[in-house]
Amino acid sequence: MSIKDYLKDRTLFLLINFILFIIICGIMLLININSKIILLIFCIWFFPILSYIIVEFIKQKSFYVKLNDIMESLDKKYLLSEIVKEPHFIEGKFLYDLLKRANKDMHEHVKKYRDMEHEYREYIETWVHEIKTPIASARLIIENNQNDITKDINTEIKEIEEYIEQVLYYSRSNNVSKDYIIKEVSLATLVRSVVKKNSRDFISKSISIDIEGVEGIVYSDVKWLEFILNQVIGNAIKYVRESIGKVKIFTTRNENNIVLTIEDNGIGIKEKDINRVFEKGFTGENGRKFGRSTGIGLYLCKKLAAQLGLGLTLTSKTGEGTKVSIIFPLGNVN
Amino acid sequence: MSKIVIIEDTEKIREELKTFLIRYGYETVAPTNFENIINDTLREEPDLILLDINLPIFDGYYICREIRKTSDVPIIVVTSRDNEMDELMSMNLGADDFITKPFNTQILLARIETILRRVHGSNLRDTIVYNDLKLNLSNGSVIYNKRTAELTKNELKILSCLIKNKGKIVSRDDLMDFMWNSDVFVDDNNLSVNITRLRKKLEGVGMKENIETRRGLGYILP
Repeated sequence: MSIKDYLKDRTLFLLINFILFIIICGIMLLININSKIILLIFCIWFFPILSYIIVEFIKQKSFYVKLNDIMESLDKKYLLSEIVKEPHFIEGKFLYDLLKRANKDMHEHVKKYRDMEHEYREYIETWVHEIKTPIASARLIIENNQNDITKDINTEIKEIEEYIEQVLYYSRSNNVSKDYIIKEVSLATLVRSVVKKNSRDFISKSISIDIEGVEGIVYSDVKWLEFILNQVIGNAIKYVRESIGKVKIFTTRNENNIVLTIEDNGIGIKEKDINRVFEKGFTGENGRKFGRSTGIGLYLCKKLAAQLGLGLTLTSKTGEGTKVSIIFPLGNVN
Repeated sequence: MSKIVIIEDTEKIREELKTFLIRYGYETVAPTNFENIINDTLREEPDLILLDINLPIFDGYYICREIRKTSDVPIIVVTSRDNEMDELMSMNLGADDFITKPFNTQILLARIETILRRVHGSNLRDTIVYNDLKLNLSNGSVIYNKRTAELTKNELKILSCLIKNKGKIVSRDDLMDFMWNSDVFVDDNNLSVNITRLRKKLEGVGMKENIETRRGLGYILP
């Protein structure tokens, strides 16, 4: 706000004063009043007006400059009305009240959606737990009636379970509150448990697994890690060639991090697709060719990894295989 | 024979779990009336309790706490609630283990065995018997007519799996799955080599009935 703008804003007021003064001046000239007296009247008339304008300008300018500074420094701009002091001039007061009311209304609006989201998430969580009971029964029925048909059904059920896990972690990944617990995790135990979870697929597709090179301890959430690793290993199994398939999992310890690498000798990913694998809904050529790709798995992995503070990278060569690395940064504590 | 009480309100799971555990040689009781569940359970004097959390009348936590007041019987909590709080809660109330639904039946079985072995000392289920052959799980040896042979970890796993399923054909995939679930990640070739070695060792102690191959189906101990 410059003085010019301010004066421009007061043009009408000043103009009326000038016109009035000129009219009075004219009348005074007509009745032969001394020009010195006219000058005196001019001073008496305009000195208070100008000083008033200047004082007001300084007052308002300091207020708006402060307001602007607060706005610039605020991380969450909508909190402005909470932080700014109530101004002393009338327009300021009026605007201040309006801003407060608008803000309050906005907060209520946001709260409504937050509650809705929370409720939805709660529903998803309950749903996931409820559906696990019929799945558990189905699993037991299959176990008690083993034949080729139930074996096939079992494979399908395993897939259903994986989709359900995805739903659960998807709803968790969107939440601001952190519902993970950081604990000491042995990478060897983690890898073993995920490999076991997929043992049937490894065996039936004759994929060999090498997890000899996995060692080290990290601090993270076991369940989230299991989910990420399960997605990655699941992909490796999906895109590896039967009988000659090899999945190798190993860790490398660097100065600042431990890297857990999952390497397969599968069909690999086309170069044009590789930069987009972590995008939501991206299935790429492999997804189209092999079907059953939702484009959610790796996207979720990346998101969850980011929340846990882990790095997730993927390199691949068509026809040679894919390499996924989970990077655990090492703090000073370890 | 160890007696297991299954406290579970979903009928299907209760019945199937019962069938499953009976098949693996456990005596099972599965109450259907939950009104006096605590007394009913204690009256059975079980060796182990499988306990669900979401139950009518009393929830699993309450039951667990009440049972702990009078008995040290091992309790495994089986639930579909899988957050850390539930696990912590169960452990604090004195449960011995915590398994989430849907569970891998082999893992459930393994946990039951481990807990029973721990509670009842090492003599129970530490040796498996097949006709005149004794398989000692703790030191990995087989005894047949006073002749002993030492088995490797892999051979031990194969033999114990075949004995547990005696008279039934165990497919190569099932056998491998069993081994993978006990942390032995063998591949196809490895399995063949191990089976051959195991056969030789069993011959060595003079056992007449040996592992038979059913082409295209798997292996069987008659």
